[in-house]
Amino acid sequence: MASGIRDKVAIIGMGCTRFGERWDCGPEELMIEAFSEALTDSGVSRDQIEMAWLGLFFQEQSAGKSGLPLSMALRLPNIPVTRVENMCATGTEALRGAVYAVAAGACDIAMAVGVEKLKDTGYPGLPERSKGTFDDLWLPNATAPGAFAQLASAYQAKHGCDSIDLKRAMAHISVKSHDNGLLNPKAHLRRAITEEQAMNAPMIAAPLGLYDCCGVSDGAACAIVTSVEKAKEMGIKDMITVKAMQLAPSNGFEMSTTDWDGSYLQTTRIAAARAYKEAGITDPIKQLDMTEVHDCFSVTELVVMEDLGLCEEGGAIKAVLDGKFDKDGEVPCQIDGGLKCFGHPIGASGLRMAYEIYLQLQGKAGERQLENPSMGLTHNLGGHPFRNVASVSVLGLHSA
Amino acid sequence: MSYGILSFGAYVPSLRLDRKAVFEAVGWATPNLRGLASGERSVANWDEDAITMAVEAGLDCLANTEFSVPHICMASTTFPFSDRSNSGLVADALNLQRSIATEDFGGSRRAGTSALSRALSNSESTLMIASDCREAQPGSVQEMNYGHGSACVLLGEGKPIAEFLSSSSEHEDLIDQYRANGIEYDYSLEERWVREEGWLKIAPDAMQGAASKAGIELSDIDHFVVHGNGGAVAAVCKKLGLERSRFSDDLKATCGDTGAAHAFLMLSHVLSNAGAGETIMLVGFGQGVDALIIKTTNHLSTARQGRGPERFMARRRATNNYTFYLSLRERLSLDFGLRAERDNRTSLSAFYRRRRDINSMLGGRCSNCDALQYPRSIICVSCGTSNSQVEESLSGLTGRVKSFTEDWLAYTPSPPYIYGNIEFDGGANVMLEFTDFEPGSLSTGDEVRLAFRVKDRDEKRKFHRYFWKPAPLTRL
Repeated sequence: MASGIRDKVAIIGMGCTRFGERWDCGPEELMIEAFSEALTDSGVSRDQIEMAWLGLFFQEQSAGKSGLPLSMALRLPNIPVTRVENMCATGTEALRGAVYAVAAGACDIAMAVGVEKLKDTGYPGLPERSKGTFDDLWLPNATAPGAFAQLASAYQAKHGCDSIDLKRAMAHISVKSHDNGLLNPKAHLRRAITEEQAMNAPMIAAPLGLYDCCGVSDGAACAIVTSVEKAKEMGIKDMITVKAMQLAPSNGFEMSTTDWDGSYLQTTRIAAARAYKEAGITDPIKQLDMTEVHDCFSVTELVVMEDLGLCEEGGAIKAVLDGKFDKDGEVPCQIDGGLKCFGHPIGASGLRMAYEIYLQLQGKAGERQLENPSMGLTHNLGGHPFRNVASVSVLGLHSA
Repeated sequence: MSYGILSFGAYVPSLRLDRKAVFEAVGWATPNLRGLASGERSVANWDEDAITMAVEAGLDCLANTEFSVPHICMASTTFPFSDRSNSGLVADALNLQRSIATEDFGGSRRAGTSALSRALSNSESTLMIASDCREAQPGSVQEMNYGHGSACVLLGEGKPIAEFLSSSSEHEDLIDQYRANGIEYDYSLEERWVREEGWLKIAPDAMQGAASKAGIELSDIDHFVVHGNGGAVAAVCKKLGLERSRFSDDLKATCGDTGAAHAFLMLSHVLSNAGAGETIMLVGFGQGVDALIIKTTNHLSTARQGRGPERFMARRRATNNYTFYLSLRERLSLDFGLRAERDNRTSLSAFYRRRRDINSMLGGRCSNCDALQYPRSIICVSCGTSNSQVEESLSGLTGRVKSFTEDWLAYTPSPPYIYGNIEFDGGANVMLEFTDFEPGSLSTGDEVRLAFRVKDRDEKRKFHRYFWKPAPLTRL
């Protein structure tokens, strides 16, 4: 009987670049920057890393296919490098590969690197791409904001909420993330905004305005992992371990049946339930000290709070406006600024979330440090609400 | 059971351009257009063409009919494809039987009336659609006069709404206007010459000829449906000593001249109002004349069911934005940014595998659990049974908007790009691109129908791909 991943693997080093418009850097510079920080942090030598996973989404826009971009950039000693891609869950997928390799006993030390170089595409927002030869024939050429905006119309229809209340809660989410990003030197967007600015910003995809949308950024992040036994041998104190890593892709339920009402994220609910079980979490509001969720758009964060069980269904507007997820709230969300302000270099984002929890659990988060956190959750949503890949991970102190 | 016209249908795009707005924009250069600057003309949306409009007219005609169509004809001077069966694609979109004969007729504004004359004379069973989407040079008389639209009649054995009496055709190579291959616009000659040498000398003979064949006098005819400009038609009316009131509305004020479709469109307008036992003469003009006489029956009033152009005439979106019209019709190249650069190459082998799914909106209904799903899949999304799905078209279903957005980031020739999840009667959910909705006009729960439209244009290879889009509901 499989026992899950809980407390089998320790994260012993992490690094993350400053996210943003890194005009002077290509994927190579970004990967090396994240890797160097992680390697120093881990205290291991580069030759001790036995396997690597590379997360990169838009390979055609930046570094190219395969594990080669990482192997070549770091001049790795011909160790196995596997490139993974699962849309916005790509960074977490890279980490999952490394974590599972260590847990399986295939190697002692493995590494995950996520990178994305979005600002060479010439686009504001994400670049256009084919959906596949058949889907191009019938699916709308949706943009990410357009696809996620529909969470708002469906949520409003289901719960009968006032559109201004919904817009204000969305604005509160963005204002909160901007406040948090201001305290993060590595964040892409470092300036405060007001609720009025958020509510009156130019419309991107109704009802999502400019400030409801996350940054499109360049960046990379890296994690080095080993087994708990090996970490103990290495004498690592206050060890941070993986409590759960779960992934749930859509199977057509949302887009092809009338059983989904469009107001929530089915895969997130499934991945969260599995992750809570794997991590032994029975009361997420009490047991989780922080969350880093996929706030690609403000409304996504709003419904994800319900999907993760952090507030009751239909209660997210009130919970958000009451400050439940603010930095001094009951379960702070996006303490690092989130995708919204830290930025969203797709392949790196899942690892960036893990990086923030890693820093917070060690008390190394500087001005934005929370008080004695012991467990945090990361959540990614790749794709669109009607067809996506959700990942939920829980990281915590080994003692937690 | 007897032979005749069994049903009819029509379509006029919802967008209407105010002719005054055209004059205000171009009158500085072409003051001669002042006299034409009244009323409005129909304008096809960016995703409409002769094929999509033909499908609309066909749907109107075939709604609530049981007739199995063995043959489809399409007449147009603006076929989107010169080598790909246009009528075949229309047949697919209408989800007609696969053992169908398809024919495209072109080359003349009277391609439709000529084909109709032949079919009626030979008692052919056919769905005959005329559809035209002629572009006009900015600032031209044609830009003022033309409109876009389509109409059709269904011929066969059954309970005819009208019976065929006679027809007569004349050919004269009088070139009142022409459009050479590869040229976008019509070249027109002086109206006075066309009227004196063309209409007044050629049309009366054919009209008299048809009446003689039917054994009736022209004065016995209740409705004259004559496709030509107002001055010429008035002159013919006067020459033949007929009452002007018997000449049907040329729809100039509300729609404009729809080319090869226009005689059919005017006919459908008459049929949607005519009584039983009335005779109608249909006249098509262009390098000669076709004149046909039909007589309505008492089945007309029951078979009518609101068919014809009226409901489309009523569902209008008026615009006085001349540059919007120019851009929609690709007469003006606006900078739509990087997103408009997307390569829309269609994999035609992938399309061929799923052609009925795309053209006919065929989904699958699970024979085990009854779930309807689009697209079809090998394994049922609801119960997991394999190979259980039976083809079922969603194209005629009414849907409800479950979620939607107005997207100002995505590229569309008519921003914003509106799309969302639609729940259909019968229990399927599909994410689709919408069409013909004004920004701010949609709400969740709104009912929609599906319209066959251009989905994407491949500018590099000049290939349009078509698919179904939710559009405002217009009930029969």
